[in-house]
Amino acid sequence: MFVDAETIRLLWPEIILIAMASWIYIAGAFQPHRVWWTCFSLAVYGVVAYVLLGTESTMWSAETALVGISGPLRIDFLGFILRCFAVLVGILFTLIGARGSSRQLTSEFLATVMLLVAGLMLVARANDMVLLFVSLEMISIPTYVLLYLGRRDRANSEATIKYFFLSILSSGLFLYGLSFLYGIAGTTTLVGMMGQESVQAAAAGFVQEGGELYQAMAPIALVLLMAGLGFKIAAVPFHFYAPDVYQGCSNANAGLLAVAPKIAGVVAILRLLVVAMPWAADIGWQLAIVLAVLTMTIGNVCALWQTNLRRLMAYSSIAHAGYMLIGISVAFAFHEGTSASGGIGATLFYLLVYACASLGTFAVLVALGSKESEVSGLNELAGLAGQRPALAAALAVFMFSLAGIPPLAGFWGKLTLFSSAVNTATATADNASFAAWFTLLAVAGALNAAIAAAYYLRVVAKMYFRPAQGDLPANGGLGAQAAVVVCVVLVLGLGLFPRIAVQVTHLAEAAVAPVDPGSLSAAAAPLPRLAGDVQGSDDASWDR
Amino acid sequence: MTDLIPLSTCLVLIPALPLVAAIVVAVLGARLLKERSHYVVVGAFAGSFLLSCLLLLHLNANQAGNADGGTERSAGFAQVVTLWTWAHVDDAYEFESTDPATMADAGPHDFDIRIALRADALTGMMLAMVTFVSTLVAIFAAGYMHGDRGYWRFFSYVALFVFSMTMLVSVTNFVLLFVFWEAVGVCSYLLIGFWYEKPAAAAAGMKAFLVNRVGDFGFALALFLIWSTYGTLNFHDTLADGSPAPIALDAAVSPADGPAATVTDGVVRGVLGVRRITANDYVGGQVALMICLLLLLGACGKSAQFPLHVWLPDAMEGPTPVSALIHAATMVTAGVYMVARCTPLFMASPEAQLVVACVGGFTALLAGLIAMTQFDLKRVLAYSTVSQLGYMFMALGAGTFTGITAGMFHLFTHAFFKALLFLGAGSVMHAMGNVIDMRQFGGLRKRLPITHWTFFLGCLALAGVPPLAGFWSKDTIVAAVHERAHELEHEAAHRHEVEPSRPGGDHGRPAEDQGGGGAIRHFAGHSHAADGEPSLVPVALIAAPAAGGHSVLESLSTEQLHRYAGIYQLLYYVAMVTAFLTAFYTFRAFYLTFYGEERIPPEAEGHAHESPPVMWVPLAILAFCAVFAGLAFDRTYLRVDATHLFAEFLANAPSLAAGAVTTTKVPYEFHLMVAGLSSAIALSALLIATYLYLGGRREILWLKSIFDFELIAGNLDVEAVAGWSRVGWIAAIHRQARAAHLGWLTSLVGNLFLMAVLVLTTPFLLGRTLSPYNLSQRKFYLDEIYFLVIILPMRALGAVCFVVDRWVVDGTVNAIGRIPPRFGALMRPLQLGLVQFYALAMVLAMLVLVAAKFIWAAG
Repeated sequence: MFVDAETIRLLWPEIILIAMASWIYIAGAFQPHRVWWTCFSLAVYGVVAYVLLGTESTMWSAETALVGISGPLRIDFLGFILRCFAVLVGILFTLIGARGSSRQLTSEFLATVMLLVAGLMLVARANDMVLLFVSLEMISIPTYVLLYLGRRDRANSEATIKYFFLSILSSGLFLYGLSFLYGIAGTTTLVGMMGQESVQAAAAGFVQEGGELYQAMAPIALVLLMAGLGFKIAAVPFHFYAPDVYQGCSNANAGLLAVAPKIAGVVAILRLLVVAMPWAADIGWQLAIVLAVLTMTIGNVCALWQTNLRRLMAYSSIAHAGYMLIGISVAFAFHEGTSASGGIGATLFYLLVYACASLGTFAVLVALGSKESEVSGLNELAGLAGQRPALAAALAVFMFSLAGIPPLAGFWGKLTLFSSAVNTATATADNASFAAWFTLLAVAGALNAAIAAAYYLRVVAKMYFRPAQGDLPANGGLGAQAAVVVCVVLVLGLGLFPRIAVQVTHLAEAAVAPVDPGSLSAAAAPLPRLAGDVQGSDDASWDR
Repeated sequence: MTDLIPLSTCLVLIPALPLVAAIVVAVLGARLLKERSHYVVVGAFAGSFLLSCLLLLHLNANQAGNADGGTERSAGFAQVVTLWTWAHVDDAYEFESTDPATMADAGPHDFDIRIALRADALTGMMLAMVTFVSTLVAIFAAGYMHGDRGYWRFFSYVALFVFSMTMLVSVTNFVLLFVFWEAVGVCSYLLIGFWYEKPAAAAAGMKAFLVNRVGDFGFALALFLIWSTYGTLNFHDTLADGSPAPIALDAAVSPADGPAATVTDGVVRGVLGVRRITANDYVGGQVALMICLLLLLGACGKSAQFPLHVWLPDAMEGPTPVSALIHAATMVTAGVYMVARCTPLFMASPEAQLVVACVGGFTALLAGLIAMTQFDLKRVLAYSTVSQLGYMFMALGAGTFTGITAGMFHLFTHAFFKALLFLGAGSVMHAMGNVIDMRQFGGLRKRLPITHWTFFLGCLALAGVPPLAGFWSKDTIVAAVHERAHELEHEAAHRHEVEPSRPGGDHGRPAEDQGGGGAIRHFAGHSHAADGEPSLVPVALIAAPAAGGHSVLESLSTEQLHRYAGIYQLLYYVAMVTAFLTAFYTFRAFYLTFYGEERIPPEAEGHAHESPPVMWVPLAILAFCAVFAGLAFDRTYLRVDATHLFAEFLANAPSLAAGAVTTTKVPYEFHLMVAGLSSAIALSALLIATYLYLGGRREILWLKSIFDFELIAGNLDVEAVAGWSRVGWIAAIHRQARAAHLGWLTSLVGNLFLMAVLVLTTPFLLGRTLSPYNLSQRKFYLDEIYFLVIILPMRALGAVCFVVDRWVVDGTVNAIGRIPPRFGALMRPLQLGLVQFYALAMVLAMLVLVAAKFIWAAG
């Protein structure tokens, strides 16, 4: 892997983050001051955001959604928006979590979050198996530390250990899958550009010439990779850890678990499985559909029974992983020649929407608790509307959004996902198998959305229609409240003005659209065909 | 003055002022304005009224200009002010037409609804009337509602009501008409149920609302039918981009060009637009009949015509100023206005007009009969309103220019004297501590002198005593119905004469008619204009195009003409009878309230005195109008310059200025015979009422005893017969007979008597229940019939639906709802909490997925 100055320049935000994290680790040992370090890391995120936006915000347009490939990095619009979002997630976690940790450990917490964010940003633009794996580990390892930092009791330790072991296992499976993939493709580059022979082999040539070898190994590689990444997004049957771990750890860390690995996992699936392995799409879409239906259904029906809020949210996050798999299956199917695109865009949009609402929920829970006592039981929320009307209203907004009730963001998220599935079903009406499967998928999604409303609304009903059972400390700090405000604004904003976000995510989809084998050999200027795709891939329902 | 505020500003401000007042009072009323709320509302209403007057000046000036302009084909004057686009769907409807009348409109039509107001003579007159009466009612209400807990709420509702009504009469689109039609309904619901703690008031509000729903349903269907028949819902012509088309008649219409030429430069002809009216391109036959009947159903709901009249008397539960507002100025006139506005549509269907007239006539008679025996002063007035509205519908149904203007004229005068009477009743109620039952008070003329005199003038006007307002308008209506019957007969006779040379052979006839002075009134229905001899039509300003002239009656066969003429003749008699009833019940109520021995109910608690000036000044103003409104506008009694100013003014409204209706225009004439007859009838009824009710009130009982068959019924009482055995001489006979062992015989005779009586009493009991008096007193049992026929089945259906919903639907839903948690319960045991198991599960699942793929591929 050759790294040149250009690549380094492109990595400035990540480099700043890692350097500052290291600085905080060192200096924090001498000067343990919570507010100071929180402000410092917020300033760092500010600088990073400035650098990020300053260098890249103007370079994107419909024609230049994909700029190029530099070393192991892929410079495209998808990476850009995810990196921005990662910085936002970092800011929110800094706000949410700073109060929770003990004073001595604040600097460690903040620096670890910073490393995690750097990992997320790297995943967002990795175009190489090795870099992808390393950056995924750069998320996992800080997560272990964070989970351990959260609280010092048996439950937390158990949760941390569980997560650690199972995460290691999943990383192993993922690595195993990568080795298969390398065996098939003969290169570590995911998707290449013009003029690189090895890339041609990886992306296109193999499909035409691979023959028996591909037939045998593709499913194994795909399933192994899916297993590794499925753990990250908590897809059934790799979800078992989620309820136990969420319940065991602190509210802030549960929020982290619900968001950060999910973003990384979804992006990795999109980049690695959907975009880089078009030749595995015929297995891919079936696998994704099976996992989607299982994940949605099991997540939702199990959530119906939960009385612990974090456990409830764990199942909720499982169910939402299922919804995202709908989009992924649609994206897979696109490779199989269905003309309906929109799967990747819908998945990304849903990811943003889910992350905002989910983060907001945990932010509310953090704000309602205190360092000594955390809110964990559903019953503790009873009568909250009378005691803390603002926080209760915010939580209600997040619940409604997660349940997908218009006009909140969650509704548009589900709408884009389900309509992408329906579009696939109708666009492939000549292929009975496709149509049947995707219709089934859309129906299963709609049924699940109905089931899910039951437990989300139960939370709202608890807050608004049950008498209060006792005072909640509501001492989570200003930071958590600020995070709640940001999330409410995002959820309402995405709900009331979904068009911009949908257009952005569709542009991102255009950026990762598979490289046409024909255009690979032609040494033409940056992919003119992609530009056309951008226009064409806009979901018709959004243009109106 | 008219230059100061342009017409369009007036038009927009008239509804805007009440709306602003409503919002201001609603927002500030509870905290800030409180007992001062009426200042805002009265001010807004007065402003609206002044602007309405200004609007009338504008209209007058414009109409005069129109007439002087020299265009012989004046089609009236209307100006449309568009505010903003409310709804727009491009190419919503691909209009296909096979009917020659609408062929020219074929093509794609936008569904384009703009918030647009329209000023023409009809609107101007309605606006002036509505705002005038509303202002006075609001002033009165300031006194009447004083001290009420919901003072500001009341004024907010009233302002909203007036806003809705002013919008209703000024919008220029059927959809908006419907919107404000409903808005008026909602406001009336709020106002009738204003004292919502009172169960009767809440029920009455609901009844008004629900009964109106029935009518609104018909109205909505009518709109759908109009949309699918004409492809537009606008009244006015629009350009292709949706903006109102200028009334450039010269460019638009030329009779020689034929109908196709009317659609030039992309003008979309509105349903009641000048171009369509002038060309008289209206679909006839069954479609027209259906449209008109559905519109009529809607009008029946709002204007309380049979069979939807039942809500109006119950609406008396609202505060009295509301009654005055609803019954005189606003809500009930909406139906009449709508029918008048849709005159061109109704002209296309003589059958529908006949139905309108019949509904009106029947309602007038029915309500008049019911009003005769009511004891609630406000209910008498309510039924009188229903009856008078019946008159208006009868006039509209006459289907002639005279008839329609007469209906509107009656609406206009009725607004004054009915508002006066209601406010007078309110004044009485105010003094009597909210008692309104006429049996509980009497002889109030000393205590309430001003109310007494103003009420008296209102009664005279309502009874139709010359020369008060009611006389002129009612007389015109009766005359118009009479004319119509006559005209139809004449048409039939005429057809008979010219039968051999038809069609198109009716050229010679009119010239002969011209010779006789009296014959000119029979001119309507002929196609004079087609002859190209406009000189034959001395007063008709409009030369109707060939198509419009004779299409109206030509669709009818001669037998139909005869039959229709018979019906109209019958309606004429009905109108006369109703005139009698009107005068009778009006003065019955008047005498019962103000004459006889002075009686004050205990509720009055010594405050039985004249109302404050804020209440009697509006009464005086209205009384002035009630006396002089007729004289001022109806000049037909003048020998020279006999004209009808009101009708002349209305004639400039596009709906009445062109098209088929103009062919029915005849010179204004004072029908001495009709007027004399109706005056005589009114006076005789007045005298009878005076004889019966002035002085004591035994007459009521006397009447009642006649109608209840008391004499006969008293002797056919079962108990009385059973009691015979205790009568001395019968008992003696019985004793003697028993001694002679013939007791069984006398017992048998007695029992036979008893059985005979039982058999005989049944019809008498029935007869008593259905005696004319009871029928009238119980409102012909219509409420009870509706309860049995409609409400009871509905409730039964509701009960069935409830059971089905509760047990079947809910049961199924709940059963389905239990499935997901069950399924979840199945999954729960898998959460063992053992990390080894989790790892195992992951690996196993992965293996299964891989294996499944291979098995699938292999299989």
